[in-house]
Order: sequence, then structure tokens, then C-alpha cells
Amino acid sequence: MLEYAVFFFFATIAVVFALVVILHRNPVVGALSLVASLFSLAVMYVLLDAPFLAALQVIIYAGAIMVLFLFVIMLLNLQHAPEPTTRPIQQFLGYFTSAAFAAAMVYYLSKYALMTAMPESRFTSSARMIGERLFETYIFPFEMVSILLLAAIVGALLLSGRPVGHRARIGEEMK
Amino acid sequence: MIPIGWFLILSAILFAIGVCGVLTRKNGITIFMSIELMINAVNLTFLAYAKQFGQMHGQIFVFFIMAIAAAEAAVGLAIFISLYHHRETIDVDEANLMHW
Repeated sequence: MLEYAVFFFFATIAVVFALVVILHRNPVVGALSLVASLFSLAVMYVLLDAPFLAALQVIIYAGAIMVLFLFVIMLLNLQHAPEPTTRPIQQFLGYFTSAAFAAAMVYYLSKYALMTAMPESRFTSSARMIGERLFETYIFPFEMVSILLLAAIVGALLLSGRPVGHRARIGEEMK
Repeated sequence: MIPIGWFLILSAILFAIGVCGVLTRKNGITIFMSIELMINAVNLTFLAYAKQFGQMHGQIFVFFIMAIAAAEAAVGLAIFISLYHHRETIDVDEANLMHW
């Protein structure tokens, strides 16, 4: 019974803050709400016997990635820029389509999947088990991800740097 | 134990909220946050099925998705910074340099 209470409490938090993310006009509020939503998803991961991934969720997502988002929002000073309104037809189609999608998914999931009881915990996943899998079965994808991260670092530096001419101009102004 | 269906329903609702954000907003960073929301909904589904079938593979996939989402966030935000330097806005309708 306690599990149900925890699940529904944090599920409500996740959904409400996710709605704040897409409805609030201020991107700073949106980013902070997304942190709260991701945090309650980490609780779901613990309920699903994945404590290592829950820790990763808090450290990487709620920690690193969202700090990056906040950095960019504040660097570009976006919290004061008014967002232009979307066309009404786009608003209507967007809300209608996603609401219909959610309704259909919830209907069929509650029809077919809700009765399937979760089996008793057959594995306790620890960081050790994940590490062993990662370096035995999944060694090739693991190395590919490391190369991808390197490419992402180089790409991010290249893209976010100012153009060469601009830098030269600033240098002349400094003199 | 909580039936797997509840986790799948929560995941579907979060995914639909993310879709709604992508379709209705114009602020590039908010669209990006909606995409992160959808990625997390998919992660939740992976973990729910990993527990349902007693397999570790779902958890390994979530690990990889997190790494790739980090790379995607870094590159995407760098693109928005570059867009802001050129156009003074991150309204996605203004990003029409490659428009035909």
C-alpha cells in the first residue's frame, strides 16, 4: 500500500510540473519545473529496482543537463524576452492531437496492461551488474558513445564560439 | 507490487505532454525541454519492461540514452547560442536560413 501512495504522489508531481514546463511563459520557471519532474521520475526508477539509474538520473539529468539549460537561458537573457504567440490553428491542433494521443494510449494501456501484475523482484540491479554487462556484452556501443561524446564536445565548442571576424573586431576595440 | 500498466500510463501521459510542448511552443529552449521530457518518458517505459521481464538490457539501454541525451543537449544548446548570435532571438520560426 505504501508503494502505491509513493507512486501516485510522485506521479502527480511529475505530471503537474511537466505541464508547468510547457505552459509557463518564463523559460527559467520551465527549467526548474523540469528539474522537479525529473527528480520525481528518479523516485519511479527506485520503485522499479533501478537505484543506480535513479542516481544517474539525479546527477546527470537534474544536475548537469538542467544546469546547462539554465546557463544558456541566463546567458542569452531569455527570461525577459516575450515569446510571440503561436497561430490559433497551431495551438488547437497541437493540444487536440496530443490530448487525443494521450487518451488513446491511456485507454488501451488500461484495457490491456493494467491487470498484468509485476513479478516479484527477480534481480537486484547494482552498479556492479550494469558495469559487467557494459564492459562485456555492450563494449562496442560503450566505446561508440565515448566517441560520440567527444564529437559532441568539439561540435558544441565550434558552434557556440563567436565567428572569427567578430573576435578580431573585439580585439581591435580593446586596443 | 504495482502493476506495470501504471508506469506505462504515466509514461504515455508524460510523452503526450512533451509532444504538446513541441507542437505548440515557439521558444527553442522550451521545445528542447519538451524533447527531454519525451526522452524521460521513454526511459521510464524501458525500466518498467526491464523489471517486468527480469532483464538487465533495458537498464543498459537507459544508460546509453542518458549519455546520448547529454550529447544532444550540449550540441542543441550550442546551436541555439549560434542562432541567437545571428538573429538576436531563439524563436524557431526565425531559423529559416535554409528555407527554400
